[in-house]
Amino acid sequence: MNWTKLLFYILLIILLVMGAFFYRWIFANLVYAMVFSYILDPFVSWFERRRVPRWLSVVGVYLVILGFFTWVTARFVPDLIRQGNYLFDLFKSGQHLSGQYIVTIPFINGVYEFMQNLDTQIPGLALAPKMIEILDNANSTLAGIPKLLMDNYQNILSTLSLIATIPLLSFFMLKDKYKLRKAALELSSNRYFELCFILLRKFDTNVGTFLRAILFEVIAVGFMASIALGIVGVRNPVLIGATAGVANIIPYFGPFMGGALAVLTVLINGGPLIMIVYAALAMYIVQVIDNNLVYPLVVGGTISMHPLLVLLTVIAGGWYGGILWMLISVPMVYITYSLVKVLYINLKDFRII
Amino acid sequence: MLKLIIRWLKTQLHKPDKNAALRRFSIFKKLSSFELYLLSNHLHKRSFKAGEMLFDRDYPLEMIFFIEHGEIEVLGTAHPSGHSVLTKNQWIGIIDMFHENIRSSSARALTDVQAIAVSRFDFLDLINKNPHMGVTILSAICESFSKYIFQLCEQPPAVNLADNQKQSTLGVPELR
Repeated sequence: MNWTKLLFYILLIILLVMGAFFYRWIFANLVYAMVFSYILDPFVSWFERRRVPRWLSVVGVYLVILGFFTWVTARFVPDLIRQGNYLFDLFKSGQHLSGQYIVTIPFINGVYEFMQNLDTQIPGLALAPKMIEILDNANSTLAGIPKLLMDNYQNILSTLSLIATIPLLSFFMLKDKYKLRKAALELSSNRYFELCFILLRKFDTNVGTFLRAILFEVIAVGFMASIALGIVGVRNPVLIGATAGVANIIPYFGPFMGGALAVLTVLINGGPLIMIVYAALAMYIVQVIDNNLVYPLVVGGTISMHPLLVLLTVIAGGWYGGILWMLISVPMVYITYSLVKVLYINLKDFRII
Repeated sequence: MLKLIIRWLKTQLHKPDKNAALRRFSIFKKLSSFELYLLSNHLHKRSFKAGEMLFDRDYPLEMIFFIEHGEIEVLGTAHPSGHSVLTKNQWIGIIDMFHENIRSSSARALTDVQAIAVSRFDFLDLINKNPHMGVTILSAICESFSKYIFQLCEQPPAVNLADNQKQSTLGVPELR
């Protein structure tokens, strides 16, 4: 081995390690920006094919998204403000937010009465007093939040500024997509050029298609569930529909979670028992449409992972990072699995292994 | 005076077509500047030293190469004579693009070579998504194939045309 070459490679590795250490805080942001740009890329390319310069296409897509969010905010914020004002008045009234007081809030009062009902039917259960105790504890934790915010305002600001960088990073990723791809491929030697290109193309196609399909499915299921639950008369259909849509990311188990939430809401609100059947039926119809129409159309087949592996992945994700990781662990494992498969097949085809 | 100023402004504001050089390849000759721009997004410049392999036989086929300068020897089944030499402004891989997934020949640089590579999937995707561009490129490819077939027909009678066509799946040497 040529010593000069060896020395160069050692220096290069040291530099890469140092670079990775220096930029380690923004890796997560880069991943989020990448996901964001994968989702937006087809729209940008659509504009570009219509002779709009790429940078202007990205700006145009950003403006459309901004307009959409503005519309959503204008449409739903009044309700949120009304609910917020209610809580604000509670604070202003000077009353201590004890558990006994919180249970007078209409929605929570429904839950409390349901528990009291259960307590009378099942002796020794004592769910209602436990709820008051939990609310008291939560109240004392909430009381500490302003102090917590003041103590950690620097961390909060830096987190917010990092979140704000995601669209900016994504802008450059979208604008310079081809330049970045060319630069990455220039690093490969002629011997491995085609192999690297195939891997990059498959990564691009698999990850891009999968992410866009999941986003589309979340929106479609959320939308359909909201309408279906609204028709059968379940309270808060938009909130339950949106939660069901997000939970749908987890194959096999996600749909049950959405259905369970709908049924639980009917139970808590103390509606007639037939409503439970209606809510379950509504969620079932949504799932039938999703499984037979939406998913095959947008993804072209279900995730080919064994249910046991999905369950284990969800549990592992939950242990590792809570609800967020429960949601993203299955897509992450699936993407990693399909990329390793592509890598293995191509390494064999190019007779490297 | 105003006309002069406008003309001067036009010359100042006029951007030279960065991709015009691609028109030296006959299949891109009739493409507009915008179509060349779309194509250029998918092109990758590669340099090969004399004696270096561009690709090997039976390996997966991904890239089509357009030779900017230098000479490439296609080893194996590229030509009735068993091998052929491709030079400046010629390309390798267009026929395979439509029906093969595996290379049927090997290619080696005879001299230092500068080439432009494009993925056949990107190329076909461009053709599908830009119908005008697709028709222009496919017409040019057909034209070059017909010239090639006529060239093969003019070979001595001992050579079997069907075999030639079967063998010549890699290189399409242009006629001059």
